[in-house]
Amino acid sequence: MNMRRLLGFNLLTAVVLGIVGFYVGWWLGHQINGPSVAYFASTGQNDIALFVAYIVGVIGFLAGLGFLNYPVSRMLGKPPSLREKESEGIGRYLGLCTDHKVVGIQYLLGIGAFIFIGGLNAMLIRLELMRPTHLVWNGNNYLTLVSVHGTMMMGMMTSGILGPFANYFVPIMIGARRMAFPRIEALTFWLLMAAGTILMTTFAFGGFPTGWTGYAPLSEQANMGMDAYVAFFALVGLSMTLLGLNMMATIITMRAPGMTWGRLPLFVWGTFSTAVLMVLAAPVLISVLLMLALDRTAQTGFFNVQAGGSPYLYENLFWIFGHPEVYILALPGMGILLEILPVFARKPVWGYRLAVTGMLGISLMSWLVWQHHLFVSGINADLRPFYMLSTELISLPTGFIFIAALGTLWRGRIRLTVPMLFSLAWIFNFLIGGMSGVFLSDTPSDVTTHGSFFSMAHFHYTIMGGLIFAFFGGIYYWLPKMTGFNLNERLGKIHFWVMFVAFNSTFGPLLVIGFLGMPRRVVTYAGYLQGANDWVSVSAFVLGASMLVFLYNLVWTQVFARVPAEMNPWGSKSIEFSLPSPPAVHNFDRIPTFGPDPYPYGDDGAGIGQRPVIAPARPTR
Amino acid sequence: MLSSHGRKLAALTVIGTAIVLPLMVFVLGPNMPPGKDTQVAKGQVFDNTVLLVVMTPFTVFILVYLIYALWAFRAPKGETELIDGPPIRGHGPSQIAWLATTTISVLFLAVFGSTELLANNGAGGGGGPNPVAKPSGAVLPIQVIGQQWEFTYRYPTYGGVETAQLVIPEGQEIAFHVTSLDVIHSFWAYELGVKADANPGVDNVAYVKADHPQTFQVRCAELCGLWHGYMFDTGLVVTPAAFASWIAARKSQFAPVSKYLPPYSTTYAPDPQHRG
Amino acid sequence: MSDYATPTSAVGGDFEEPPQVMARNLRVASQLWASATAFFFFAFVFAYFYLRSLNSQNLWHPHGVSAPTGSGTAIMLLVVVSAAAGYMAARKLAAGDAASFRIGGLVALALGLAAIVVQIVQWSSLGFGPTDGGYASVFVGWTGLYALFLFGTLYWLETLVATSFRSPKNTDSAAAAAFAFYWVVLALVGVATWVVLYLL
Repeated sequence: MNMRRLLGFNLLTAVVLGIVGFYVGWWLGHQINGPSVAYFASTGQNDIALFVAYIVGVIGFLAGLGFLNYPVSRMLGKPPSLREKESEGIGRYLGLCTDHKVVGIQYLLGIGAFIFIGGLNAMLIRLELMRPTHLVWNGNNYLTLVSVHGTMMMGMMTSGILGPFANYFVPIMIGARRMAFPRIEALTFWLLMAAGTILMTTFAFGGFPTGWTGYAPLSEQANMGMDAYVAFFALVGLSMTLLGLNMMATIITMRAPGMTWGRLPLFVWGTFSTAVLMVLAAPVLISVLLMLALDRTAQTGFFNVQAGGSPYLYENLFWIFGHPEVYILALPGMGILLEILPVFARKPVWGYRLAVTGMLGISLMSWLVWQHHLFVSGINADLRPFYMLSTELISLPTGFIFIAALGTLWRGRIRLTVPMLFSLAWIFNFLIGGMSGVFLSDTPSDVTTHGSFFSMAHFHYTIMGGLIFAFFGGIYYWLPKMTGFNLNERLGKIHFWVMFVAFNSTFGPLLVIGFLGMPRRVVTYAGYLQGANDWVSVSAFVLGASMLVFLYNLVWTQVFARVPAEMNPWGSKSIEFSLPSPPAVHNFDRIPTFGPDPYPYGDDGAGIGQRPVIAPARPTR
Repeated sequence: MLSSHGRKLAALTVIGTAIVLPLMVFVLGPNMPPGKDTQVAKGQVFDNTVLLVVMTPFTVFILVYLIYALWAFRAPKGETELIDGPPIRGHGPSQIAWLATTTISVLFLAVFGSTELLANNGAGGGGGPNPVAKPSGAVLPIQVIGQQWEFTYRYPTYGGVETAQLVIPEGQEIAFHVTSLDVIHSFWAYELGVKADANPGVDNVAYVKADHPQTFQVRCAELCGLWHGYMFDTGLVVTPAAFASWIAARKSQFAPVSKYLPPYSTTYAPDPQHRG
Repeated sequence: MSDYATPTSAVGGDFEEPPQVMARNLRVASQLWASATAFFFFAFVFAYFYLRSLNSQNLWHPHGVSAPTGSGTAIMLLVVVSAAAGYMAARKLAAGDAASFRIGGLVALALGLAAIVVQIVQWSSLGFGPTDGGYASVFVGWTGLYALFLFGTLYWLETLVATSFRSPKNTDSAAAAAFAFYWVVLALVGVATWVVLYLL
């Protein structure tokens, strides 16, 4: 039995086959002969071999997990099946499993691990910036830390909320027993894990110096470590496309009777508007990265001025993807915000249609603003007034989200639980993030703020202050439902207050430092900024320490204390809180029907879970 | 018309705005970056002040609202029973008021920003090879060449002499022609209020007129590789007389090497993209 | 306890949805994947016109780089005919004629594979390489990735035909219809490829 498990398809075989595949690919890549080889011989680097190694390694990894069994059986004409390995037991978390709840928890742990690595990088960056000149890292190591931090966070957080929470709760919220394509759902997760591992291998190949944007021609000139960036982001793009496709298909087709579009919980709407962007924007990212890969291997000239290309092409295509990308990061946070606020204000969402319009409006308008990243680049300078207008217009739908959130608080009975604290902090942080964005959208002001610590602090306010705060709000709100064990509220409040204060103490001063003239991604800076930078670094370390409080809380309550969670600890009227914690594999014994308002607080109209049932604790297994 | 809560909130917002707005205009505004040394820098300070003024009422409103809501609408301490608030699902007039206010502000910002941009307050930002807004009168062209990892400066009207230091005369409209020999850099002269990306094969123009002699910081603002963090120097604004003698001295000093430079051109064929 | 579920765990089996759910899933997924594909190739269309308009160092289309219009047209026609065959086959299956579906599917498969073979022959006798300027770059990248998409979609077709051969009574036409839709869209992308790369 044990031998069977070891030799079956699981994480162990996946890792072994992944490593074997990598070296097979490496060898194969070196056998390829062509006009480029002379070039590589002269540099001592073979990007072709590395790309082939990554590709074969990923295929080996997926084969080891058992992802190839089904496609092969389909090739032989076996009938389609939907579900696989949905058995009980801890083993299902360590391999291919098509239960959307298992995938959600896999996402939470897997993405969490990589985000933790990204966070450690941030600590090391702030360590270096304790001094205006060299302190710890040399130029190359510093840039690699900056680049891996940015790339890892941008890549992993795209699925940071959709991965764990949407995979887990969207099917439940719409009254389905599964996602539309369970196998694709599992694939998106394991692709991300392969991608994250690939990005970490960049350290073995000298790192890469471009930041998360990978601007050509710097990214063409860079050493082999750059290939890890390309492979990572392309795999993330593939994972995003499939995740978005699966989410959209699920929400479009799998809704239970009565769950009309106007009754969807706002978290589902947030997921949907994000998924639209994922399906359409991520392919552009894959495209532009493949062009970069061709430039680096086959010596094409997409981004090479002397070969008939242009770096502008990269900047344009990257931001055609990149600006929808930042809303891919922001929208799910808005969804969680508007999901949590009604529960703890004990009121329906104020302006449901406004909120939905806001989300879809952001989703649409995010396509029209990309050149505001290029205000001083000299690209189409005559079009700057248009991009200024479109950028500022996007604050209208964002304003809808704000007014819906604020209106929900109006005359409510607010309870300051940990999820509620994180949601209120979202409003505060995103307010500062949004207002600082006004300076960046105004072209004359952008001349100073562009590329400075100001813009860096701005997007940390919106992404970390928005997405990560919503992410933790979601964890404190939903984790007991997902695992069946309560988190410690007191530790949660300590985590929140330390994180909130340290976050603002880190990024607030960075706005000022940027205004004072410090560019992003530099290893040295003007001496008079040292005091402020030291303050920021210390705050950042405290911010990092707050994550340790959370980790302690997580490990202690979920592994050791294991206090069983009630069915509905928050008195929520959302459907997932009328299921046991955790829900059964098939979610529902019978498919529920849905009433007109997903947030029927305060009245006796039709709706789900009218009575805030505080159910008895679920017996442990 | 407004409820009691609504009246209190409106009053608090008005009071808060009345307190904060003068601070923004008279205290923070004049100290906004990048300073008052050139026309474009002053233009940016003015823009920043206007932006502060526009965003103040919204920020004050949302913050006051949050604090007020947490003070007035909190469930009493020790309330264990779950009591729902009133099922208010929206309020048309408030929504319309919000939509109207934000729309007007946003359109104002866009129109204001475009006007400022065309009125040369954004002329410090790289405007491509042929900017829409050009200063009138004589312009002194200076070419800024970015390469890994330094900026050099060519004065085409002075025989194309290339120097490692940027010196510009005061009171003279300057056109910076920014280009690159390898990867993308960004020429950022903070005190002047100038930032323009240096792209290989592209002539990116930014205008500035310095008011008085001073020094200013030049930094690369676009990640350009290994020594990006060390790619900075200090520029000088000097009197026209001092500039004339400085440039004459550079011309004779660099005469032996200037003849080996490629002839002045708005762009140069970048170096082969070697692995660094 | 809960209104909707008991904490007992039951796996699969009794809880499967009716088949029309899967049919709708496939239809929606096919449309979404077609949109993603369109945006994927949009990047190449953008690259084509952007680099063409910039013409850096006059290297957009240097002398000696001439598009192999003959073989390009052949590829396009093969894909279009294959898409037509696939579409007709899916229609036959919807009408309950599984035998015609298998024949039509095999024809579409053969034509699609022929298109890939012609593409490979074209590359091996191209007359210019990836390093020869902007057009050459776009050409190599675009045709290469398009061939990759063709190959992946033909795998999809192969599974459908193989399933039909193994269980001839299977007349579940939803998957075939979803495939046919995507295959037609991909053929339209092929026509766009032909227009942009060979005609303009």
